[in-house]
Amino acid sequence: MMSSTAPAQAPSTEATRSRATIPARLASYGTLLGLVALIILFSVLRPQVFLTPLNFTNILEQIAILAIVTAVQTVVMVVGDFDLSVGALASLVGVITAQLLVAGTDPAAAVAAGLLTGLLAGAVNGALVSYLNLSAFIATLATMTSFTGLALLLSNGSTVFGLPDSFVWLGQGRLGPVPVPVVIALALVLLIWFVLSKTVLGRAWYAVGGNAEAARLSGVNVRLVRFSAFLVSGTGAALAGIVLTARLASGHPTAADALMLSSIAAVFLGITLSRAGQPTIGGTAVGLGIMGVLSNGLNIMQVNSYVQQVLTGLIIVLAVSLSRLSRRRR
Amino acid sequence: MNSPAQRTGAASEGRRAPVLATRALSKDYGPVRVLSGVSLEFHAGEIHALLGENGAGKSTLIKMLAGVTAPSEGEILVDGAARRLRSVRDGQSHGIVALPQELSLVPTLGAAENIFLGLRRPGSRLLVDRRALDRDATALLERLGQRIPLDVPAGELSAVQQTMIALARALARDARVLILDEPTAALTEREAEQLFAVLRTLREAGTAIVYVSHRLEEVFALADTATVLLGGRHVWTRPAAQTSADDAVAAMIGRPPGQIYPQRETGEPALQRAGGPAALEVRDLRGHTLAGVSLQVPPGRVLGIGGLAGSGRSELLALIAGAQRPRGGAVLLGGQDITARRLAGRMRAGIVLVPEERRSQGLVMTHSVQDNIALANLGRFSRLGIASRSRERAAALRRAESLRIRATSIRQPVEELSGGNQQKVVLAKYLERSPRVLLLDEPTRGIDVGTKAEIYQLVRRLAAEGVAVLVVSSEIPELLGVADEIAVLHEGRLAGLVPAATATEESVLHLCYRKSA
Ligand SMILES: Nc1ncnc2c1ncn2[C@@H]1O[C@H](COP(=O)(O)OP(=O)(O)OP(=O)(O)O)[C@@H](O)[C@H]1O
Ligand SMILES: [Mg+2]
Repeated sequence: MMSSTAPAQAPSTEATRSRATIPARLASYGTLLGLVALIILFSVLRPQVFLTPLNFTNILEQIAILAIVTAVQTVVMVVGDFDLSVGALASLVGVITAQLLVAGTDPAAAVAAGLLTGLLAGAVNGALVSYLNLSAFIATLATMTSFTGLALLLSNGSTVFGLPDSFVWLGQGRLGPVPVPVVIALALVLLIWFVLSKTVLGRAWYAVGGNAEAARLSGVNVRLVRFSAFLVSGTGAALAGIVLTARLASGHPTAADALMLSSIAAVFLGITLSRAGQPTIGGTAVGLGIMGVLSNGLNIMQVNSYVQQVLTGLIIVLAVSLSRLSRRRR
Repeated sequence: MNSPAQRTGAASEGRRAPVLATRALSKDYGPVRVLSGVSLEFHAGEIHALLGENGAGKSTLIKMLAGVTAPSEGEILVDGAARRLRSVRDGQSHGIVALPQELSLVPTLGAAENIFLGLRRPGSRLLVDRRALDRDATALLERLGQRIPLDVPAGELSAVQQTMIALARALARDARVLILDEPTAALTEREAEQLFAVLRTLREAGTAIVYVSHRLEEVFALADTATVLLGGRHVWTRPAAQTSADDAVAAMIGRPPGQIYPQRETGEPALQRAGGPAALEVRDLRGHTLAGVSLQVPPGRVLGIGGLAGSGRSELLALIAGAQRPRGGAVLLGGQDITARRLAGRMRAGIVLVPEERRSQGLVMTHSVQDNIALANLGRFSRLGIASRSRERAAALRRAESLRIRATSIRQPVEELSGGNQQKVVLAKYLERSPRVLLLDEPTRGIDVGTKAEIYQLVRRLAAEGVAVLVVSSEIPELLGVADEIAVLHEGRLAGLVPAATATEESVLHLCYRKSA
């Protein structure tokens, strides 16, 4: 009919131009390149220590618990919110589980109780955000504060020791050569990947994060969808708290607090890889990789841990601004 | 195609130099060339219309003129000198000001703040002199013949008032070249007239005006010069007096134009969808604006809904679709009261609303054509909660083909499509629901003439299959052309219900203003 308007085809194909696209491409993959660069850097600097299967397992083990929190933080950030309470909640669940165990509860029941606590806490966050219309920032900042307070109250501010071996296995055991926390984290990451990319729920999460009004007018139950994301993050935070408690063989009221900022940073690093500006599990994995390799490499190099923190902050700023630059001029 | 000889207008007059010109301007997005070697001249005191179908490259050209995006090749000349416009600010410093296709006022700020936003004002550097700000804003608005309350947030003003604020903003920047991208798409005809009066005044004052619109009647009533683009190329530039809407359409689509409005077939509706045909009935429906409206739309009927902005047209559709809670009244589908059902429930029952605002209501801009079409159909394209990509893909391909959506692929993010093609994606998404009752709110906003005709045909075809259709439109000829009956709303009430066959533009307009016809 109209020669120039073949449907779903390039308006004109005769012209090709690849100038500006190569640097732009590189910049948008900057975060991935950054990970590769870090690996090369540490491999060259400390080949005998860094580039070994043992160290690789080490890195995975070090980031396993962070990976659990980050995977669920990804879900909340897909929906366009944050969950600032994940760290505090993980600590709280750690304390509760540890106390139940010390009181002689069966480990399976204690773990179930811990997960249930997380689910309930997630429901509170979700209700505040999606049914009472509080901003996620305020709501989870408030619950974060309360969760920390609760954890301190319950534990009297001290560490809970004396956990049974069968429970400690969750944090310190191995399945063949693979540490149990790594298995748990991998399983969760795979599950979240599946839900995000293959299911109707995942599509609804992305749609609500992309344009809540358009999602609503498409028949999506926006409130329920946001609520469900917080259920996931609450439960995931609880899982992280349980594994951490097992790994440390003790429950401490602030043990997991630092996970929150690191998880958000890792998701942000991942977002730099995404075209739509929304998180993906793949991107999150790269973000986690950067965090893990960086801290492991710097440890191997025996860099002062304060300096490590400064460097981590700088790297995050660098990666995020690189990807911004690539987006600016289109 | 764009040889100087064909630019009969400018060439024959051989007059003063253009304020703004392009020389072999091209723009590529990745491997795709969307504008190709376009050379144009824009003169002071002249309204120059840019015409072309959806995706022809009009907005792209304009964005380069305004400094929003950089050309890939070619140059832009201001007063004969080649300039690199690196930003909107850069463009404005040369007196080039554009009103984008989607107006960008700060909705929470008042008129005065919006007008002077980003302008360095004489006097104090740190403090805002409210009085002076209001005085200057009032003066600028008066030059446009407007009285707009300065203390009302821009978001709450009418579309035409917002356009006027955007124009005042351009005046405050001493615009010598004023660029308007589909400024009337969101305006009613009366409001558009207001805008044209202002544009004519500005032309007399020597402003060069670049004007993009798909409403050809208004273009030919307004413009001095018309340029047609086709597939990113310059077809011709002619004095408006020496050409016609038909010429322009033929050049825009590369063939002679056909009939815009379809024949109405009358026949027994035979709906093969789940549930079969069903009549829609609303009883005494009330909302914020709507103050008790009762209507019946049998299967196979197209009901046009006219009225002024703010008369409650969109609200009526939103209430029927369940997108908004009613203050009273009932909605019945096939005799069954469905007032208690929410939007999703009514959608499952077959009531589908195509919303008015494509960016804020219709689309997830960063998502692909396919994902957007799938969004309204997630439940239907899945089993046990697992989405079927292949069914989504098949549906998106089919719709993209039948609505002739122009995209590099159905994986392209909709933010990269032209305005009209985005609108088609919104239509595709909701048509895929196979509605029994279809509610269309300004369905052809920003859509080119050729595609408009196809959408009208589609509406008639759906009606012939037994779908009950409600169409809200600010273009009365559109209502007359596509509807069987026209309901006119006035301040939330039904001012009249007239058969389209006997109605005229005047009679409908009279009802809009609530005068007896
Ligand atoms: N950021 C982008 N990336 C890739 N392609 C783009 C981008 N912006 C525009 N395009 C493509 O450029 C072509 C021209 O778009 P443009 O917006 O200029 O059309 P238009 O003539 O204004 O159409 P309409 O009447 O629908 O507004 C379209 O095919 C569009 O898909
Ligand atoms: Mg456009």
